[in-house]
Amino acid sequence: MTVNLMIDGLACEAAPGQHVLDVARQNGVEIPTLCHHEALAGQACCRLCVVEIEEASGSRDVVVSCTYPAKEGLKVSTNSEQVRRLRRTVLTLLAERAPLAEGALPAYCQEYGVTGYDLRFTVDKDEKCILCGLCTKACAELGNSAIETTLRGVDKQVAPPFDEPPAACIGCASCAEVCPTGAIACEDADGVRTIWEKEFELLRCEACGKPFATAEELAWLKERLLDTELNLAYCPSCRGKMSLKDLT
Amino acid sequence: MSAKRTILVCCDTGCIASGSKAVVTALKEQLALAAAAGVAGAAATDATVEPLVKQTGCHGFCGYGPVVKVMPDDISYYRVKPKDAAAIIESLGGEPVERLLYRDDAGQRVTGREENPFYSSQKKLALRNVGELDPELLDDALSRGVYESLKKALTMTPEEIISQVERSGIRGRGGAGFPAGRKWRIAAGYNNNPKYVILNGDEGDPGAFMDRSMLEGDPHSVLEGVAICAVAVGATDAYLYIRDEYTTALRTMKQAILDAEAAGILGDSVLGSDKQLRVQVVRGGGAFVCGESSAMIASIEGAVGEPRAKYIRSTQEGLWGQPTVLNNVETFINIPLIIANGGDWYAQTGTDKSKGTKVFALVGKIKRSGLIEVPMGTTLREIIFDIGGGIPGNRRFKAIQTGGPSGGCLPDSLLDVPVDFDTLLEYGSMMGSGGMIVMDERTCMVETARYYVEFLARECCGKCVPCREGLRWLLDILTRICEGEGEFADLEILEGICETMTLASRCALGKTAANPVITTLRYFHDEYEEHITHKRCPAGVCRMGVAP
Repeated sequence: MTVNLMIDGLACEAAPGQHVLDVARQNGVEIPTLCHHEALAGQACCRLCVVEIEEASGSRDVVVSCTYPAKEGLKVSTNSEQVRRLRRTVLTLLAERAPLAEGALPAYCQEYGVTGYDLRFTVDKDEKCILCGLCTKACAELGNSAIETTLRGVDKQVAPPFDEPPAACIGCASCAEVCPTGAIACEDADGVRTIWEKEFELLRCEACGKPFATAEELAWLKERLLDTELNLAYCPSCRGKMSLKDLT
Repeated sequence: MSAKRTILVCCDTGCIASGSKAVVTALKEQLALAAAAGVAGAAATDATVEPLVKQTGCHGFCGYGPVVKVMPDDISYYRVKPKDAAAIIESLGGEPVERLLYRDDAGQRVTGREENPFYSSQKKLALRNVGELDPELLDDALSRGVYESLKKALTMTPEEIISQVERSGIRGRGGAGFPAGRKWRIAAGYNNNPKYVILNGDEGDPGAFMDRSMLEGDPHSVLEGVAICAVAVGATDAYLYIRDEYTTALRTMKQAILDAEAAGILGDSVLGSDKQLRVQVVRGGGAFVCGESSAMIASIEGAVGEPRAKYIRSTQEGLWGQPTVLNNVETFINIPLIIANGGDWYAQTGTDKSKGTKVFALVGKIKRSGLIEVPMGTTLREIIFDIGGGIPGNRRFKAIQTGGPSGGCLPDSLLDVPVDFDTLLEYGSMMGSGGMIVMDERTCMVETARYYVEFLARECCGKCVPCREGLRWLLDILTRICEGEGEFADLEILEGICETMTLASRCALGKTAANPVITTLRYFHDEYEEHITHKRCPAGVCRMGVAP
């Protein structure tokens, strides 16, 4: 069963329940996003993926495409003047909040001609975090929840409990991996990983000798693999080259 | 005159703060003394007289508390002190104590509520029992007919109940004004059990106390409304989410549940029927945003109270993913009336699209402040000047803020606007849950907008960019304007942010959070200009150019 919708005049088919953003991307229509991650969908925080819609009933609205479900007869406009104006404001707000953000945000700012409001107001010039929440969601999905968003409103921030090096952190660096703006400092040097003010010894791959994981991370993995006798001493790249027999 | 007399003393939060508990003690002492002496004024000459002192919920006229009412004579006394107790007891059955009566606008002392301009144009439906009974006594509630509608509802089919609620036209009193009957019908239409009913009692608007007064003053009618809803939609569990700061409301509701269960009204068998209903009280998580329905559901589930991102109604997928009906306290308390008298009867009151009455907390720069209930469609002028008596100190009215922190400020040119859901929206404000704050000429509207924005900036969940960052910026810009550092270009920035917040925020809080700024820019633009051009605050509130 499929539903038929129009995205920027293009006839598209979608599975029921599929989100408009995914349908658009499948059909080659690009919609900008910052907080969207395929493995951690549904954040709907940055609101950059706003689109205008017209339902089959004729009612119109502005929604975010990352969570809006595709419906029969839906008409989506992803790049109208209003949509671009809203995106420019969102980008301006983010550029002001996190002037040092890396990656897609400065690129989008350039694309949308956003330069920031007025530097009279910018207070914290060292900020990189846009509070998309992907880091905390990744950590929670892995089952550790070593970091969380704390406080609310304009004081909201990502932090470990009590702002201390988080006891539950296994140094897997998934948070830094999913961060769209490079806001989480993670440094690997001399066989030691430093993240969240915690230091982890990096283990070397038994095959190639490159440091690839923390001991805590492998212990965590072993626990979840239960009885399987998978040899975890090899890095993902070497593992890919080995047969199952070599690995067990 | 021979009749059993009841002395109703308001013991709601406002009157307690004014000393009503001491008045209760003094009245009881004087009664005991009079009984011992064998005399209690003219009344004591009649053997059938047994005066009784009752602690009740809010009488509404909070600015003139403690309020004492003698029934059935309908004599109301205001600003009663413990030393007045003897005179009140002595007067029972005779002439009222003149000096404690309300003096109306013409300077005449008035005895009854009907003659008091604060009460005379009110219509008490939701507040029918508030202030008239002891909220801690189930028997008091039963004697006023509470739970009769639940009995009646149990003889009706869910379809019949829902169609009466639909016919009444009642719209959700929490703010958005979604038709309650339609909400119930949607939830009733799903067959996946269990289903849940949630009562929203997380009233967090500064200056608002409508829900608190109902929870504290008439807990059994609230429970009755919840129970009727549960019967109609097929729910077996109900959660009463009550703001944690409302200690009295929490205690009163918990006691009411226990009493109703012990009496066989709630629990494994609702009034002897095959329906069950477990009701639990949930203490609010302390965030204003928990009043938003999906944030409230998250909070009940034990998660952080943040609105969810999904475009799906809680009637379909609510608490623990199950069909859920969430209504406000005031919505539920009206339900028994609708069942008792029929939807058509209820729909006679109000306007075309907003039926019934609305309870407001009328506060601010106003002569008669308190809890009021008026038919939908009453004008702001009637509320402010007829009921509220206008502005004290011969000052000029400037604005009325309706709908809580994310409502709007309306100017005097809109005083003749009828108060209903759609009209308020049309003018940039909203009904909200019913806060009304009156401001006079000494109020600075830029500073007022700044105050509400600051409140929301701290109280929003902080998850989505337009609301969190937008509020941060609005606050920053408004603060600078108030400090004399504003520029005209700032006003354009304000408008751009307001548009984005309104259209692109995740939840209703964010979508309405810019209203204080939008409405003050629309109706009080000259004040912004004065601040920016002349570095002058017309109301004399903002201090500019003063070194800290």
